[in-house]
Amino acid sequence: MFNSLKGMFVTLVSTMNGLRAPVTRQYPDSGNLLMQKHDEPTPVKDRFMGFPSLTWDDEVGEPFCTSCMVCIRQCPTQCMTSVMKDNPLHEDGRSSRRKIVDSFEINLNRCILCGICVEVCNFDAIVMTHEHEMSTFSRNGDRVDLPALLEIGHKFQKETDWIPPTKRVKKGAESEAAKASIEASSEVSAEASAGASAEAESP
Amino acid sequence: MPATILLAISLTDFIWLVVGLFIMFSVLSGVVLSLTWLERKLLGRLQLRLGPTRTGPMGILQPMADALKLILKEDIIPASSEKVLFWVAPIIVVVSAFMIWVTIPGSQNAVIQNLDMGLFYIIAFSVVGILGLVLAGWGSANKYGTLGGLRAAAQLISYEIPIIMVAISVGILAQSLDMREIVSQQDDYIFMLVQPLGLVIFFIAGLAEVGRTPFDIYFAESEIVGGPFVEYSGAHWSVFFLAEYINTFAIAALVVILFFGGWSGPWLSGDWGIVWFLFKVYMVIMVIFWVRGTFPRLRIDQLMAFAWKVMVPLSFLSVVMTAVYKFYEWPAWSLTLMSSAGLLVVGYLIYKRMTGPTKLVAEVRSRQEALEASRRASAPAGGN
Amino acid sequence: MTQMPDNPVANAEPVEMLLNMGPQHPSTHGVFRMVLWVDGEKIVDVVPHIGYLHRGSEKLCEGEQYNQVITLFDRMDYIANFNNEHLYCRAVEKLMGLEVSERSEYIRVILCELNRIASHMLFIATMGLDAGAMTPSMFCFRGRERIQGLFESVSGARMMHNYFRIGGLKEDVPEDFVQQVREVLDLVKKDTEESDKLLSFNEIFLARLKNIAVMTAEDAIDYGLTGPCLRASGVDYDVRKAAPYSVYDRFDFDVPIGLDGDCWDRYYLRVQEVYQSIRIVEQALDQLPEGDVTSSLGRRLLRPPAGEVYVRAENPRGELGVYLVSDGTDKPYRIKVRPPSFCNLSALRHMLRDSWIADSVVILGALDIVLGEVDR
Repeated sequence: MFNSLKGMFVTLVSTMNGLRAPVTRQYPDSGNLLMQKHDEPTPVKDRFMGFPSLTWDDEVGEPFCTSCMVCIRQCPTQCMTSVMKDNPLHEDGRSSRRKIVDSFEINLNRCILCGICVEVCNFDAIVMTHEHEMSTFSRNGDRVDLPALLEIGHKFQKETDWIPPTKRVKKGAESEAAKASIEASSEVSAEASAGASAEAESP
Repeated sequence: MPATILLAISLTDFIWLVVGLFIMFSVLSGVVLSLTWLERKLLGRLQLRLGPTRTGPMGILQPMADALKLILKEDIIPASSEKVLFWVAPIIVVVSAFMIWVTIPGSQNAVIQNLDMGLFYIIAFSVVGILGLVLAGWGSANKYGTLGGLRAAAQLISYEIPIIMVAISVGILAQSLDMREIVSQQDDYIFMLVQPLGLVIFFIAGLAEVGRTPFDIYFAESEIVGGPFVEYSGAHWSVFFLAEYINTFAIAALVVILFFGGWSGPWLSGDWGIVWFLFKVYMVIMVIFWVRGTFPRLRIDQLMAFAWKVMVPLSFLSVVMTAVYKFYEWPAWSLTLMSSAGLLVVGYLIYKRMTGPTKLVAEVRSRQEALEASRRASAPAGGN
Repeated sequence: MTQMPDNPVANAEPVEMLLNMGPQHPSTHGVFRMVLWVDGEKIVDVVPHIGYLHRGSEKLCEGEQYNQVITLFDRMDYIANFNNEHLYCRAVEKLMGLEVSERSEYIRVILCELNRIASHMLFIATMGLDAGAMTPSMFCFRGRERIQGLFESVSGARMMHNYFRIGGLKEDVPEDFVQQVREVLDLVKKDTEESDKLLSFNEIFLARLKNIAVMTAEDAIDYGLTGPCLRASGVDYDVRKAAPYSVYDRFDFDVPIGLDGDCWDRYYLRVQEVYQSIRIVEQALDQLPEGDVTSSLGRRLLRPPAGEVYVRAENPRGELGVYLVSDGTDKPYRIKVRPPSFCNLSALRHMLRDSWIADSVVILGALDIVLGEVDR
């Protein structure tokens, strides 16, 4: 009897909470037939793994991807295909990439969002973007080709101020080196001051 | 007019009757719509979520959307079903639900036809609906349906008896079965104060009559996927849905009339008492929804055991107590005392019936602690 | 009492009614089919049918490289993903003799225990729904959302994480991980307590679950039950204590044991396990060392030496076992998974004898099966 009444008290308390602050997040917008709509997009975390896309190298003006096929070989569901071509920008001397991607297709319906392709890429060419809303009206609408991939990837780069992972490591290494040099100089100055104080004390 | 000659009433009375029935029908439908909305919103907030929000501001138009959807849906009638029974069953259920409302007064004058034996008529007609459920289950030609229909019959018939007995005890208190008379007898003190046991029994048995949690096993979705209603879709199903909410409203109205003084209240009286009536009924209905959000459901044999072993004897006790009180003309507080004592008996019996939980808690904890202690004793330092 | 036919489907002489709780049913926890022979409301016999979710995972493993197999293991028991990944990584590490850094071990344990909490919260939710109470499911799913949000910030996905690697983790946890986990733990504890107060000792819930499907300790061991189903019958066996793996021997936690072997014990045991898991996570957070979590293998292609290995772990549902046979190439030769739900399900017929139809749903719910694991 009493536990049931305690249970009724629990639900009474939660009704009060529910009237003040329900935990619902209305998606995609909090609208109804007569009132204003407020868009409530899904708040994704930084590391969220959405659909994969290719990145664009702004400095050189070409995709990072050289179509080396490592990600395609490593994909557990084999959802990607690609063709490689000689890089015209390399012949002009503007780029260090000898080969560049000619065509790239991902079947987003087959992708299991595992992120293995991003891990194995040697060229920072593919990223897991924050895209997760990609329903289409046609049956093959989610087989995305190179221009669309580059567009999605570029949007992701802009939104998150993306730094290529290899450059990130370099940046980390640089800051380590800077810290080490500061410490080295402080040791030297500490020794110098210790030596000076020792000399001052010794005679 | 042949109808007027048959019924031996004048033409104006006949027209008023038809208009009254029409008003009752529309008011009840409106109330049912509001109840569905209220239930979904209240249960939503109880579970920390919003209820319907998109159909109109605060989801007000949701019942409209539900009704429209149900009517526009395709009515699938199984090929091997008994067509006559399949069609007749929802009609029986909903007609009996409406027939009850003919004699329930909303205020002193807001009643279609007040009867001297109003309470008797209501209880008699509430039994008719049970037949509809059994026919629905059988006529569906579905094993889940048959099971559900039989479960429904057993449950509803068993819980009629406590309702009847408590109604009788209220009738004894008020010295009448006339609903308006019962309310006017509650001018000095509402019957809840002298009959708390009766209120509890009537409420619980009423929940079981309507088929609300914790007594909704016969159409429990997680078990037999709908019970007698499993093969009904679209407009057929909406009729059952309507009947369920009308019955809920009827039980709540009866609770208010029999125990809470009907339409009496400060400042508003006479015809405006209907405001108080509606307010009290909605309060009772919110408690019904609250109970739905809190409890799991009882199994059919536990339900029946509860009815026959706890509810029926206590309801008989309630009748005897009231009769003794009236016969010997004891003061009112004596009945309160006896009734509260009966209520404590209810509490104790439920406590014992449902496996004595607080004792169980202590037992579980002490046994667990003894087990832990023995394990620690037998496996010193090394074992972890 | 009529003679129960040995093979009720083949010698079809129906004396009782055949009730099919088919693959599509609101309560069968996935695509699982129970064919019940009922006499009125009493169950006489049951024939369970599985395989509706069979995806050929074990065969697919033979065609994937070792690092790709992790994605398959995520999807087997899709409620306790980290526990599955952990076990597979341990299997390959044992085969190769790899050392895993302390920090990765601790983070693995933290994430596995959080996943255990999430799995048990799903169990409480579905148990409530099976018994008829809708509200605990909403409270428990809110708690689960908090944990899954944490998983998203760590691994990038709410469910199929692909975060553990053979030899370590994919990358280190974010900087505010410890603080986030502590917040989540507080809130999750409150959510569990709320559902506990609402459901565990509720008279109606007790009436539905007490003394239903009592399994004695001998029967439980005979049928190969593991995990909470075994411990409910009074057998004190938890792989984390009996054969400690990873860093579990450094934590102080209790293993709840049931006393009666009925459905309520199986339910309440899991509620207590949530509190114990919270204890473990708190201790792990206190002891979390610094270090590197990336695998010592780096990006080399994995070619474990030829051989076979069997490892087991305590999953939320029981004892998960992985038998890995390698022939020296970069793809496994054979992986056989011993799923706890499958072995627990074998006791279903024994449990359902002499019970009511309404109880069948409750009994199945208390076993806590996940069809992804049963069918693989």
